[in-house]
Amino acid sequence: MSEIAGNRLLLALSVVMAAIYLFPLYWMYLTALKSGSEMFATPPTFWPSSAQWQTFTYVWESRNMGRYLWNSTVIAFGAVALIAFLGTGCAYVLARYRNVWVDIGLFLILMFQVLPASLMITPIFVGFSQVGLLEFPRFAVILAITAKSMPFFVVLVRATFMAVPMELEEAALVDGNSRIGAFFNIVLPLARNGILVSAILIFMQAFGEFVYSKSIIQDIQLQPASVGLNSFMGPNTSEWNNIMAYATMYVTPILAIFVLLQRRIVSGLTSGALK
Amino acid sequence: MKRVFSSVTDGRGFDLVLVGVPFTFLLALAGLPLLYNILMSFQEVDMFSLASVIRPFVGFKNYVDLFTEPETISILKNTVIFVVGSIAGQFLVGFSLALFFWINFPGASWLRGLFLVSWVMPGLVVGAIWNWILSGDFGVLNFLLQQTGLVGGNIFWRSDPNFSLWAVILANIWLGTSFNMILLATGLAAIPADLYEAAEMDGANAWQRFWTITLPMMRSTIGAIIALGLIFTLQQFDLFAAITDGGPNNSSNVAQYWAWDLSFRQYDFGKGATISVIMTVFVMFAATVYVRSTRHEVRG
Repeated sequence: MSEIAGNRLLLALSVVMAAIYLFPLYWMYLTALKSGSEMFATPPTFWPSSAQWQTFTYVWESRNMGRYLWNSTVIAFGAVALIAFLGTGCAYVLARYRNVWVDIGLFLILMFQVLPASLMITPIFVGFSQVGLLEFPRFAVILAITAKSMPFFVVLVRATFMAVPMELEEAALVDGNSRIGAFFNIVLPLARNGILVSAILIFMQAFGEFVYSKSIIQDIQLQPASVGLNSFMGPNTSEWNNIMAYATMYVTPILAIFVLLQRRIVSGLTSGALK
Repeated sequence: MKRVFSSVTDGRGFDLVLVGVPFTFLLALAGLPLLYNILMSFQEVDMFSLASVIRPFVGFKNYVDLFTEPETISILKNTVIFVVGSIAGQFLVGFSLALFFWINFPGASWLRGLFLVSWVMPGLVVGAIWNWILSGDFGVLNFLLQQTGLVGGNIFWRSDPNFSLWAVILANIWLGTSFNMILLATGLAAIPADLYEAAEMDGANAWQRFWTITLPMMRSTIGAIIALGLIFTLQQFDLFAAITDGGPNNSSNVAQYWAWDLSFRQYDFGKGATISVIMTVFVMFAATVYVRSTRHEVRG
């Protein structure tokens, strides 16, 4: 078999595998476009007989999706801003030095990273209610997400700072820059891309966050889209086309960002987890 | 004062501030809750004593109560099945995919990256999609299984106690496979190619090369990934909320969901904290294993 034919065969095989793997995603889009009777047809159809685009406007209005998505955005942006503000400097210092304190710091960071949110929510909720933070539920969720996701951000961004040559910073110091000046003028611009990709990853995580929001935010006006989707799915629901339309509108922006930045996101992820 | 200021802008103080502020934040919002959790597991905490600082101290009552309740053993058993089933499935499927995409052909890395969409999707959306796919009467999975002749009748994945836990495991395998695959692919790419050339010259076939080169060279990567899998499966919450809600009759309940359920549905924060403490010990153990298997890499 020639090499070209072999490559084509492998490519075709891998496309089939990707298609099988991504089938649930296809099923979401497909169901969202089906009519109420078509989605319960046996045997099921694998292409909509007539696409029901009005489902999207109906769900958007009847479920108040604008409000839910706005709350998700506020929470995600708040968390990313706080994480980037606190985490970038931390990652820089942990990347610059090599001693026993840095090792201890990294170990602590990792321990904080692995704590499951569903276990931490009990003490956080009780603590927040005693401090009075539950009066500001979205801010409370932002704080909780920050504590949960900042370690991951630090690990990712630290890998980026490690790639910035130390000589550049030293040259800037010799030229008369202060430490602050060298950090903001030399190191930060060089690490900008890595920080941006990590921030986007954190944003996507925070955009879909559920445990903290579900437990802390009681007021429906302030709930994010994940909690909205959860209350949409009752135990005996039959509105699957509407639910899938909701899911579509929720997840498509994230998927678009992912497809656009795929290569960077994948390399960022792998560098954080194993290096 | 001036010396402190100049140290912060241009000296050791700069590093200390950069690292001190985030660590103070983390200790306050993650370290402190961890200790508070332990304290609460020895107290009786309900809706009424929620706001008070001094609460009745009950010793090991929460722990003893938990282990005398009939559902505890079955929920812990479910947790073990969930963790082992998920990790085994994710790892096997992920490893096979990684090995396949290891063959270098045009488009391989782009297609491989596409698998990661499952990782960036909100957990609740993944749960909603699988809830619909696994639906008993109209679910597409039942249709496909019957078409291929694997099962005779509809399986009620979500409402049959024999299958409900496996419904969540199935969704979780789908969710975690891509992450396993990408990390394993990174490990495979790091194996020096001349090892294989030498083995080939010595007449080793593909099977022998896999067992004598690939697996031994991947040992630390595999250790790290199993530990990460343990950490991630013990964090899984959204799929339970979206697919079975722990039911029917706790048949698909696991410890991390139960802890939340006790605190926020039954308002028994003391017991919720108790389970959290027990599970946190397991998670920290997994994290230590993870650190050990990636130690040389963590230090750079």
